[in-house]
Amino acid sequence: MAEETELLHGTLDTLILKTLSWGPRHGYGIARWIQDTTDDALEIGEGSLYPALYRMERKGWIEAERGVSETGREVKFYSLTTQGRARLKVELAQWTRFTTAVSKVLYERR
Amino acid sequence: MPTLGRFRRELRWRFWSVPVEREVDSELAFHLEMRIRELVEQGMTLDDARVAALERFGDVDRITEACRDIGRRRNKDMRRAEWLTELRHDLRYAVRGLRASPGFTAVAVLTLAMGIGASTTIFSVANAVLLRPFPYHEPKRIVRLYETNPTTDLFSVSEPNYLDWLQRVRGLSQMAAFTGGNLTLLGDGDPEELSAMAATPSLFPLLGVRPLIGRVFREEESKPGAPARVILFSYAFWQTRFGADPQVVGRTVNLNGTSYEVIGVMPPEFVFPGNPALWEPLAPSATLSRGETPRGDRRLAVLGRLAPNVTIARALDELKSVARDLARQYPETNRGWGANVTSLEEWLIGDELRTRVQVLLVAVGLLLAMGCVNVANLLLARATARQREMSVRAALGAGRGRIVRQLLTESLVLAAIGAALGVALTVVAVPILRDVGQTAIPRLDELDIDWQVVAFGIVASVVTGILFGIAPALQASRADLNDVLRSGGRVAAASRLRSILIVTSVALALVLLVGAGLVGRSFERLMRVDYGFRAEGVFTASVTLPVERYRQRAKLAAFYAEVARRLSTTRGIRAVGFTNIAPFSGGSTAIQFTVAGRQAARADEYLSAHWRLVTPGYFPAIGVALKKGRLIAESDGAEAPRVVVITETMARQIWPGMDPVGQQIKLGGNDGPTWTVVGIVGDIRDQLLQQEPQPMMYLSFQQLAWQTMWLIVRGTGDPLALAPVVRREIHAIDPLMPVANEQPLERFVSAIAAQPRFTTLIFALFASAALVLAVVGVYGIVAYGVTQRTREFGVRLALGATPSRIVMSVVRYGVGLAGFGIAIGLWAAYALSRFVQGILYEVTATDAVTYLAVAALLVGCAAAASILPARWAARLDPVRALRDD
Repeated sequence: MAEETELLHGTLDTLILKTLSWGPRHGYGIARWIQDTTDDALEIGEGSLYPALYRMERKGWIEAERGVSETGREVKFYSLTTQGRARLKVELAQWTRFTTAVSKVLYERR
Repeated sequence: MPTLGRFRRELRWRFWSVPVEREVDSELAFHLEMRIRELVEQGMTLDDARVAALERFGDVDRITEACRDIGRRRNKDMRRAEWLTELRHDLRYAVRGLRASPGFTAVAVLTLAMGIGASTTIFSVANAVLLRPFPYHEPKRIVRLYETNPTTDLFSVSEPNYLDWLQRVRGLSQMAAFTGGNLTLLGDGDPEELSAMAATPSLFPLLGVRPLIGRVFREEESKPGAPARVILFSYAFWQTRFGADPQVVGRTVNLNGTSYEVIGVMPPEFVFPGNPALWEPLAPSATLSRGETPRGDRRLAVLGRLAPNVTIARALDELKSVARDLARQYPETNRGWGANVTSLEEWLIGDELRTRVQVLLVAVGLLLAMGCVNVANLLLARATARQREMSVRAALGAGRGRIVRQLLTESLVLAAIGAALGVALTVVAVPILRDVGQTAIPRLDELDIDWQVVAFGIVASVVTGILFGIAPALQASRADLNDVLRSGGRVAAASRLRSILIVTSVALALVLLVGAGLVGRSFERLMRVDYGFRAEGVFTASVTLPVERYRQRAKLAAFYAEVARRLSTTRGIRAVGFTNIAPFSGGSTAIQFTVAGRQAARADEYLSAHWRLVTPGYFPAIGVALKKGRLIAESDGAEAPRVVVITETMARQIWPGMDPVGQQIKLGGNDGPTWTVVGIVGDIRDQLLQQEPQPMMYLSFQQLAWQTMWLIVRGTGDPLALAPVVRREIHAIDPLMPVANEQPLERFVSAIAAQPRFTTLIFALFASAALVLAVVGVYGIVAYGVTQRTREFGVRLALGATPSRIVMSVVRYGVGLAGFGIAIGLWAAYALSRFVQGILYEVTATDAVTYLAVAALLVGCAAAASILPARWAARLDPVRALRDD
């Protein structure tokens, strides 16, 4: 199941985890937050957010609870589990290592 | 944070009870709705916003499907996790509960272990003996064929008759004949006597057995009257004597002074009655071979394989008609002779052993049932005592199903522990049983624990667990909440069910005890049977005189006489004799005869009696006393008048009220030679302990001699100490003479009683287990009743009841319950009695003494089991009893 995203593979998960680290949000809230902080990286294929959410829920990184939205609708609110928090730490460390390595290649002068 | 975690899980569970389709749809719809609203707020028209939102979102259908798919799998995972958590919870709870009451747990587990251990063990015996097919090709189609005469349905077959059957009977696709014997291996060491089976080449294809190496006999190796000198080894013999040498095929061995070519070795799994070490070809012949009429000389054992679609009954009909034809054709030898067909199973196992094993299976079923009943009872008592706990749990919101599941888990945990212990018991018991029983019971040497038995144990334990778990669980879940909470846990309904269980348990115990009592009494009778000779202090061995060097009768007789002469002058030896069949050695010889002057009109009017060849010393050696006339003497030589000494039974049957001494008989029939009765001796039993003495006559070894004879030596001390003496004296006469089967005669006697002894032992074990279970059961219910009625006893004591009255009333309760069980048990035992009759000796299956003794024993045990709790009730402090609840 290929995801329609321009983002690097796996970074969507990291983004979601990071978003939820600020507190529980519903799916649209997560989408908005990513939109605002990444200058609309998900412009195309915003829907791919949801399979990622379900997958992470199954893995136990995030969990859902019923809540009421700002418009008064009953929706699922996602929040990080302890497992998810740990996962975020791992992904952040990996990301840092990865970007450092790539920047070294791209910008370091001989 | 376990509590919170649990709470959250349950919340989520409620959440997921929304179908995953709705969950996904509403979530995605909400997203689009929000996006559209935002776009509209930014100034788009509703339609444009809708298009833009969808475009931004991507393929809605595909994403919906993907989410639903993952969601479904998520739910499945969760449900499994939930189930496992609950199971772990139930298990932990069950184990904690069981550990909290170690007495209950120990009794329940041991009860189950006893039931399951005994049932798997006996099941493995039944499996080895009855259920496992014989290791032949389609064993159900193999039959054993016999000739019959008016005295027996199971007589061997003569060679010409076998050949005629082979030609005429269509209902059998294959036929084979065999006969056992001995061959003496002459080589480097002492001459060794080996059991050998002579078989027609057709035997191996009939059984569907192939050799391990080499080949089996070829048809041309059994030319009538001239078998080829080729030999097959059994696997065991090949292993022990030839070190499993693969080059053995093609070598020659010296047997009875003749060289035989080794042509093959049989595979290890090939078993055959008698376990012969060697196989040689049998070459049945229709013509004279030993100077006798071969058609009347019946020695062959014959097997057949039923042709396709032919039943045993049809084969029997055909064989009988062939036998009738033969009787018409050869009236001299075949008049009065018919034919009989039995299944392989009937031949190898026999009715009595089948009955024994079946009775054991029933007994084991009863014991297992008792185990279940007792444990159900224990659990029920526990459930009743914990009714308040259950009610509180129910009041706090535990569902009825949840409580039932909890109790079932508990009983399954008990069953699992019981099964583990029971299987461990089996693992210990099976090798012991194999060692104890393998000489007594055919095929028991193959007894082993196999997967079938383990599966049986597991099924038995699971069924037990569910069975005894369900009753208390239902009981607990049915109990009315308010009732229980208000009345402080005194519920009458439970005690009725428990009383029924106890009554059942006592009834089952009674049936088992009656069975054991009958078997035990009959064994005791069997052990006291006077078999007519004295086996103590007697040493026995068999000698086989090689045909090559001892052909003439005179030479045979001279050898036997010389051995007897030399040994009888040896110190420590009182008497020495020879006979062709040692008592209880498994052999038997019988012959038809007529009384001179009473010519039989038809062959089926012939009389029949066992006969034995003896030397004069045989009677003092074996301990048979002369009653009248004289014994066989040295003077009864080959040329002297032919004489017989008969037993009292024969005298009584043939010449009732007359003096047999001086009477004459014709052996073989009307035209047979005449023999004169010269004496009467005491009766002996030498086939089966339980069989009444048969008419028997003794013939002089000089007037008819066999190549193989049993030496019977009565000494003054340990019989086995005579073995080297006997060997020395025999080898002094002929150094190449093999001496075999050296043993005390008492070993034959004890071996003949081994099967009943085995059954008695197992029954005794069962009965003790049943008695223990019954006592524990009665004790349990009485003790429980006392704790439930503490307040009542307190009141009675306070009102002035004497302790002895309290004791009496409690004991009366226990004995009353047991009495009920005993009454039902007596009826059940009586109804079942005909099943055991087949294995009883001189005891009827409805033997009143046994029934009464067992009933009395159970009443006594029930009273004893009630006294402890009764005294406890009588010693209650009224004040405390009334205050506590």
